[in-house]
Amino acid sequence: MATEALPDPPALRRGRRRRLLDAMEAHDLDVLVLGRVANIRYASGVPILWNAGTRPFGPGCIVVRATDEVFLLSTWDEGVPEEIPHDHLYGITWNPMNYVSLLEDIAASARPHRVGTDAMSPLFAQLLPMAFGEAEIVDAGPALRAARRTKTSEEIKAIRAAIDVAEDALAVAVGELRSGGTERELTASFMDAMASLGITTPATQDVVRVTSPGAATEPRGGRTVREGDLVSFDAGVVADGYAGEVGRTWPADLDEASPAVLDLYRRSDELWDRLLDACRPGAPASALLDAYVAAGEPLPATPVARGIGLGFDDPVIVRDLPETAAAETLDPGVVLVVTGVVSESAVGSIVTHEVILITPEGPEMLTSSPFWHREHAGAPS
Amino acid sequence: MTDLLTAEMTTLDLPWEPDRARLRRERGARLRTTMADKGIDALILLANANVSYATGTTWPLSDAGRGNVERPVAVVLADDAQPHLFTPFVDDAAGELGLDADHLHGPTYLDLAEGVTAFGKVLADLVPGGATIAIDELTGAMHHDRTALLPDWPPRPASEVMSAVRLTKTTDELACLRRALWISEQAMAEIQADLVPGARQTDLTATYLHRVFDLGAEANVLDPIWQVMPKFQAELPWTVHGDIACPLISTERRLEKGDVLWVDSGISYQGFHSDFGRTWVVGEEPTARQQAQYERWAAINDAVVAVMRAGVAASDLTAAAAEVCGGERPWMDHFYLGHGLGLDSAEAPYVGTDLGDAYDHRLVLPAGTVIVLEPVVWDEGHSGYRSENVYVITEEGSVNLTDYPYAPYGD
Repeated sequence: MATEALPDPPALRRGRRRRLLDAMEAHDLDVLVLGRVANIRYASGVPILWNAGTRPFGPGCIVVRATDEVFLLSTWDEGVPEEIPHDHLYGITWNPMNYVSLLEDIAASARPHRVGTDAMSPLFAQLLPMAFGEAEIVDAGPALRAARRTKTSEEIKAIRAAIDVAEDALAVAVGELRSGGTERELTASFMDAMASLGITTPATQDVVRVTSPGAATEPRGGRTVREGDLVSFDAGVVADGYAGEVGRTWPADLDEASPAVLDLYRRSDELWDRLLDACRPGAPASALLDAYVAAGEPLPATPVARGIGLGFDDPVIVRDLPETAAAETLDPGVVLVVTGVVSESAVGSIVTHEVILITPEGPEMLTSSPFWHREHAGAPS
Repeated sequence: MTDLLTAEMTTLDLPWEPDRARLRRERGARLRTTMADKGIDALILLANANVSYATGTTWPLSDAGRGNVERPVAVVLADDAQPHLFTPFVDDAAGELGLDADHLHGPTYLDLAEGVTAFGKVLADLVPGGATIAIDELTGAMHHDRTALLPDWPPRPASEVMSAVRLTKTTDELACLRRALWISEQAMAEIQADLVPGARQTDLTATYLHRVFDLGAEANVLDPIWQVMPKFQAELPWTVHGDIACPLISTERRLEKGDVLWVDSGISYQGFHSDFGRTWVVGEEPTARQQAQYERWAAINDAVVAVMRAGVAASDLTAAAAEVCGGERPWMDHFYLGHGLGLDSAEAPYVGTDLGDAYDHRLVLPAGTVIVLEPVVWDEGHSGYRSENVYVITEEGSVNLTDYPYAPYGD
């Protein structure tokens, strides 16, 4: 991070804007009305003050395809690039009719037939037809996903930079792992390290979990680490808009692991051999689900892989969405967070997150944080 | 409202540990009563804060990009004492919420067509045909499939119910809020004590995050603001309305001696968000001119507090503030004199927005409403002063939940 809030670099902005306009054309969208932070940043290149959690839908950014214009909800011009002039900025308002006036003005010159939005609310279900008249209001999700699901080289650079911060902060937190500490204290160490590296925004705040049996009886976040406990770290940061993530599971205060723990690490390695093998360019994303089945490991309810970029992207590969997984192809340029989970009720879980770039030649691992079992004598390598 | 806020109250006797079972029970009763009043049979809730309200579940909020996919969802039926919760954090929720197994569902993926179809099937089993459904928000994929999910379009807004039930806070909700404020204040006291020239804004954030998690915060909810306020407005970014630009994103900028810092932050405790706002000066005492800014701010704040009590109109608050300033409105044009606080960092009611005086005149504040007052004094050529305090409105007046000094300007 710099000493002032700057727009995203020009090459990053240009590459994304080109993809967005192409996707609008391919999906026959004349105007986009965007409310989600990641989509707003994708279209505008402007850093946005970070809040945790989801935000209510509203017109945060409007893109007009015919003229390649972007209108942005921003009361000031800090971080606004030159291609968005002052008269294309509009301020925060509590009066929804102000949005109708703004959109009417845009509609008067753009004369759209189809307007896409990235979400909807009962209020805007009424207001958007008021502003856009006869134009059809449709889901822009397919167009936005088409633009965002594979990454430009500049985006991959940004993801790598975010991963560097996540991995350095993870190393600090793992260094603090010892019995008697709590999940909360380890999370505090991670957050401190992340911010000390100049990045103050986490991708997730569910950072540390004691997975060993017995821990679940204590409230989440406050669980105390005991000797030998398996503790999983999900280290995610948002740096200059892009998410970087890595996950590792370490035992506390253990120089020599029990056979049961070693066996769990062995199962994790076997699962990972299959998961990496599934990340071939052109392969169906369902191969990642198949990898769990082939390894004999139960599929978790949460995604085994998801796109990463400005937050979550396609594809989202999860047990309960088999058709989605079968229809998705791992195209070169897709960047995935792949999750490996193996559990044994008497021991705990080993949870690992790796970021993998699909290239024409095969998978490229972007994460490189060390593993406990590969660092310690007596553990399988 | 509870019997807590009686006419004699000048302070609130809030429990240190909220009673979470009572909190959920009281909310559930309010929800169902209000749904019946509004003629709404079923609520579908996606907004993080609404899901927390309806189910009692809380979780460490993530970045919005991830939060849109890993998103708990609630379905509330007017004739069912228990809400339905769809969550990726099933194991956490199972232990803490006491929901029957058939009301606790695994994660749902409403950003994806297949997820919407699956959710629609479950919904069809839960909600009888012909029921009146209200919803707070739809994903794009839900919007695409709206005819299958929501027979009436446009749908009834869930805000008809949620704004009403979230307006006033119960004892346990205030206890959560007070605890959130306490965590934030403890961390801020340490940062202020060590405030020295040369530190980066992000260094202050590092210390802040470390301390709030140590002290029991569930999550950070706002990238902390440590905005250096210049003497002249022209040194700030251009704005659409000509007022000052604030809040600006913190960076690795290093603080210098004499910098006037406007500080703003928020964390969550059991879902409740804190709000902290103070003005500090780096490495120096305020000048006489800066001291006078603070005294003017205090006069404005005192004037508003003097009229604040149950039944007051928002316009009475704005009028009291403006009167101290010869008719000028002493707050930022793009914000407000005050805002609500609870499961969101800024929530209804909003006092003094661009909705105008007529709106504020109709907006009546009952006992149990939480209002964060944030008047601003800008003194062109000499920077300015801004602080925030969190008040609970009572029958008799109000109680200040903020417990933090005004140093270096005052006690």
